[in-house]
Amino acid sequence: MASTACFVIVSRNDIPIYEAEVGSVLKKEEAAHLHQFILHAALDIVQDLAWTTSAMFLKSVDRFNDLVVSVYVTAGHTRLMLLHDSRNEDGIKSFFQDVHELYLKILLNPLYLPGSRITSSHFDTKVRALARKYL
Amino acid sequence: MEPDVSMETMSTIRIAVVAVGGAIPAGRLREYAAAVGRHARVELSALASFYSEQQKSPFAHQPWDSGALRLRFVLGGSPPSPWEDFQSHRKILAVLALCHCPASPDLDIVAHHFAAACRPYPHALARRCFAFFPSDAQLREEKRDDIVLFPPSDVQKMEFHMLTMVQDLAASLLMEFEKCVLRTESAGTILKTPLDSQSSLGSEEVIKAKKRRLGRAQKTIGDYCLLAGSPVDANAHYSTAIELARLTGDVFWHAGALEGSVCALLVDRTGGRDPILEEEVKYRYYTVIQLYRRAFIQDNAQRVSTVSFELEAALKLARYLCRTELAKEVVELLMGAADGAKSLVDANDRLILYVEIARLFGTLGYQRKAAFFSRQVAQLYLQQDSASAAISAMQVLTMTTNAYHVQSRRTNPKLHAPAQELGTSHGDGKKMQPQSVVSLFESQWSSLQMVLLREILVSSVRAGDPLSAWSAAARLLRSFYPLITPAGQSGLASSLANSADRLPVGTRCADPALPFIRLHSFPLHPSQMDIIKRNPLKKEWWTGSAPSGPFIYTPFSKGGTTDNSKEEITWVVGEPVQVLVELANPCSFDLVVESIYLSVHSGNFDAFPVSVNLPPNTAKVILLSGIPTKVGPISIPGCIVHCFGVITEHLFRDVDNLLLGAAQGLVLSDPFRCCGSGKLKNVSFPNISVVPPLPLLVSHVVGGNSSTILYEGEIRDIRICLTNAGTVPVEQAHITLSGKNQDSVISMAHDKLTSALPLKPGGEVTFTVTLKAWQLSLADSEVDASRNSSSSARRISKEGSSPLLAIYYAGPSTNSDESENKEASVPPGRRLVLPLNVCVLQGLRFVKARLLSMEIPAHVSDSFPKPTNINQSSTEEDDDVQDKDGSLVKIDPYKGCWGIRLLELELSNPTDVVFEVNVSVQLDNPTDEHTPVRDYESADIRYRKTRIDREYSARVLIPLENFKLPVLDGSVFLKDSQTDESAGNKAFSVTERNAKAELNASINNLISKIKVQWQSGRNSSGELNIKEATQAALQASVMDILLPDPLTFGFRIANTSVEIGELGDQSSKNPIAAHEMTQMEVLIRNNTKETIEMSLNVTCKDVAGENCFEGNSATVLWAGVLGDINLKVPPLEEVAHSFSLYFLVPGDYTLQAAAGITNATDVLRARARADSAEEPIFCRGSPFHVRVTGTA
Repeated sequence: MASTACFVIVSRNDIPIYEAEVGSVLKKEEAAHLHQFILHAALDIVQDLAWTTSAMFLKSVDRFNDLVVSVYVTAGHTRLMLLHDSRNEDGIKSFFQDVHELYLKILLNPLYLPGSRITSSHFDTKVRALARKYL
Repeated sequence: MEPDVSMETMSTIRIAVVAVGGAIPAGRLREYAAAVGRHARVELSALASFYSEQQKSPFAHQPWDSGALRLRFVLGGSPPSPWEDFQSHRKILAVLALCHCPASPDLDIVAHHFAAACRPYPHALARRCFAFFPSDAQLREEKRDDIVLFPPSDVQKMEFHMLTMVQDLAASLLMEFEKCVLRTESAGTILKTPLDSQSSLGSEEVIKAKKRRLGRAQKTIGDYCLLAGSPVDANAHYSTAIELARLTGDVFWHAGALEGSVCALLVDRTGGRDPILEEEVKYRYYTVIQLYRRAFIQDNAQRVSTVSFELEAALKLARYLCRTELAKEVVELLMGAADGAKSLVDANDRLILYVEIARLFGTLGYQRKAAFFSRQVAQLYLQQDSASAAISAMQVLTMTTNAYHVQSRRTNPKLHAPAQELGTSHGDGKKMQPQSVVSLFESQWSSLQMVLLREILVSSVRAGDPLSAWSAAARLLRSFYPLITPAGQSGLASSLANSADRLPVGTRCADPALPFIRLHSFPLHPSQMDIIKRNPLKKEWWTGSAPSGPFIYTPFSKGGTTDNSKEEITWVVGEPVQVLVELANPCSFDLVVESIYLSVHSGNFDAFPVSVNLPPNTAKVILLSGIPTKVGPISIPGCIVHCFGVITEHLFRDVDNLLLGAAQGLVLSDPFRCCGSGKLKNVSFPNISVVPPLPLLVSHVVGGNSSTILYEGEIRDIRICLTNAGTVPVEQAHITLSGKNQDSVISMAHDKLTSALPLKPGGEVTFTVTLKAWQLSLADSEVDASRNSSSSARRISKEGSSPLLAIYYAGPSTNSDESENKEASVPPGRRLVLPLNVCVLQGLRFVKARLLSMEIPAHVSDSFPKPTNINQSSTEEDDDVQDKDGSLVKIDPYKGCWGIRLLELELSNPTDVVFEVNVSVQLDNPTDEHTPVRDYESADIRYRKTRIDREYSARVLIPLENFKLPVLDGSVFLKDSQTDESAGNKAFSVTERNAKAELNASINNLISKIKVQWQSGRNSSGELNIKEATQAALQASVMDILLPDPLTFGFRIANTSVEIGELGDQSSKNPIAAHEMTQMEVLIRNNTKETIEMSLNVTCKDVAGENCFEGNSATVLWAGVLGDINLKVPPLEEVAHSFSLYFLVPGDYTLQAAAGITNATDVLRARARADSAEEPIFCRGSPFHVRVTGTA
């Protein structure tokens, strides 16, 4: 498992609808903010990159210092973004695919307004379990 | 590292610009610097006049016609760089001093200063001092070489002068460059960089250095060629330098020369940019970067590093390529550069690097990337401990606010324009697509926004900018209070207060802090002040222009129109108005709003401030008031709030959007709901228009405005006083009734009101309204709870069941500008709704009504039938038909009556007062042709009062004998007879219905004549409503009550027996004695309009009911005919038939006459309810008592 990992789902309106620090090392608040800043900045690159390929998994698109941003773009242009320091690309890809499945289940909930915050604790638990499994 | 580097930087000549002499005003200095700075490019062609070739120029290929010198003015100069030898453009090649003569009168001192200012720049090849605005005295001084005086002149002339001076400077620089080149070529100048180890030069290294020297010299010459604007020459020298450097392995200089060659290439091909050139540049620059990387020597990395050159090269290339098509490549370069930041030793270098990266990302359109690096810059600034660094940090952070969507309103006044659109569309459509709601909150990274705002707050506090600090704290508190701990919230509140302490009183800030304010509602005009649009075309101008009822919304009105148009509100100039707003303080500290008032942009409204104190986590609805001052539309977008020492404007729209987001779960929290305030329908701000002053009527009820307590049926006068409290006279007024129980208002004094018009301001009018309390029904009454203790709970009327008086009034309808639009110029009218506050108590309760018939036979006397004494009038009624004594119809009820009907009303008194019931019967003329119009007032028969004590019941008898028509007329039965004839016709049902209606009408007529009035105490009196009850009771037998019998019979003692009357008092009452022959007469009256033929029979019965005339034991002897007497009675006349009786036994007897009518008409048959035409019609008179005195 990666020592640092920050996972964020960004809706098509560029609102983070799910955030989780999934790294094994507990980080200070300041670092968590930095992670989010990096992920936010990476959106600019994703925005261009997403249209150049038909693959959903964009691999690592951005980096800052030793932190790498990997992105997975769904068909609805929801972006699953992971900030990590490990280089386990296959694991990240599987992680994204499984989270995508979970996200689809959330979307199928008629009470969930697409683009609003995901508050399901079940989803959170599952995502963290996936992070432990793959990252 | 240096900021703002590009590939062309190598060809610019650096000139330090310094201020000398006395202090120059900042504005002036800026002006001078700008004037100098405009000449960054000096054409070679323009230099020709200043240039003199002293020796053969080394720049053989100088493009005199197209080339130019690039100047770069460095304001304030810069410290010398250790890399000056390596790249000549890093040197300060000239010094330009600026002097403001009024501030420095002594030019000698200026010259001294100038010399001192030039000292730090040993490489300066030219020095100039420009003195502006010299005084006349200074101009008169002998001309100095070191100071150039700019004589005072207009701007254009000064520009020209400046241009000339700069060209002169450039020309002298060019000549100096020539010298430098020649010097470098000839003399063996040692060119060093910090990379070359200074201390111990080993012999090997000395040899190496000698070899390298030539290449380095070539490179330096190339640099000068570039600076002199001769790229071709430069390129030639650079090519040599590259060759030499490659041979000697002088990697660093190799890279420098390569860089220079690219610059020369670009300068040479200025303007033109083709892919081939671009490829070439790219290729060469990647080589440059590679070379710089190779030049990195591990062992002296601590002391000097070539990393900065590598990064600079990367930035230069990125800047060159910076286009969206090549974004990917640029991003790679920039990310590589960002990675290099770690290896930079100097914090300043890192700062410059991040600034450059941010700028390049910004140019590329990557705003978020740019913001990220800007924030890195700001953090580096914040690590420095100085106020100016903090100011820089604050400014840099402020630039990033756009990318993070936390910008201040001040910096972006158009920020809420789209929000406004959305807001209005929401207000209009009422329904908003969830997707567009989401888009309102685009890019809301709350955690980032919070961090950023906090950093702005910290930096602005450090920078000493209280307004920015206030603004940041306000934004932070307002947007993110749910994410901040109570302690943090209090901390923000105190930082707001601290910032406000440093601000002057009355400072305004564009960003609102707390509280959250939303529009709650507009209190409707109190019903006393309703404004009604006037319809000038109608007489009843109030109709059709305003909702008539008390309801604002009626489900029956057309749906489409009301939804689309916003509601309209009319305010009146000079009359205070009120708006309810709701404030919420979702934070954990006491919020003191020093003042809050409505913000009006239209300028025709005076708002009154109020101050509010909001405890933690509370919401409050407060009333904001103001007075419209001018006619016209008013728009109120929000409130002006003075809170935390700063004045801010809070817009309702922002909060509406926020609440919308909260409803969709997009925003963290709804500030109103978390304060416990209920969910409120979104109130859209209506169109408000102000109209000129209107009259204003104020009403009060004389004797107190409290409700009047009335018993059911009680009649009371209420006096209402109206006062015109406005400034305009009332010219029209009209009273209408509305609400429930309208029929309880018996009369209103309309004329009293109209006669008082026009009612001047301050005028007063009083008019009377007569009320009759209505009957309580189960639906609109309630049990009086206060009387639960008593056995029978009484009922009182519910609130709001009273009738309302609506008084429509208006001022003068004509305006001064009548000529224009008439419709629009009519000022509206007003409505005063005045509830007649009546509390109806249950009064006498009607239990039931019964119809009783009384059968008391009359006594036979000589004067019988005679009029009853008590109802004189009834006799008079009939005296046109017969003489007084001959009246057969009216019978004294106390003496006897056969078939008289009595209406018995049972009343109970559940109240705690005593009632006296008084029945009166009103008699009017029967509509009969025989009855002439009477010339006296209505004839009421009053019966004795009946007293009903509290909680008792009593019965009241109402005799119904006075209603008989005098004539049995065919008209009553006309319909019936017709029915018989046309039974099969279609008209049958119609006529039947008519007949029924007529019947009902006659019943109603009958009932309306009976009035049951009551009185209780001294001043309560009223009438009992018995209509329904009596109607039910009378329904069956109305015919018998109303219609007289066709024949009436009467007996009397014939007048001849005068002596009987002299028997005394007793015998006068009982004038018939036994054993005497008594002359009697039977009187038969025909009540119809036709002659009736009949056969009359007279019978006499004793008390046992035995016939006394016939049989074995006849006790009465008779003379005359008593049976089968054939008589013919003309219409409406009477006939007497005489006979004599001789009573053998004293006692009571009953005389009765009966007649069989021969040839009965239809009328008679109908009256007798005969089924068939063959049936014989009998008519029987009422029995008469005869008391026979005497002894047996």
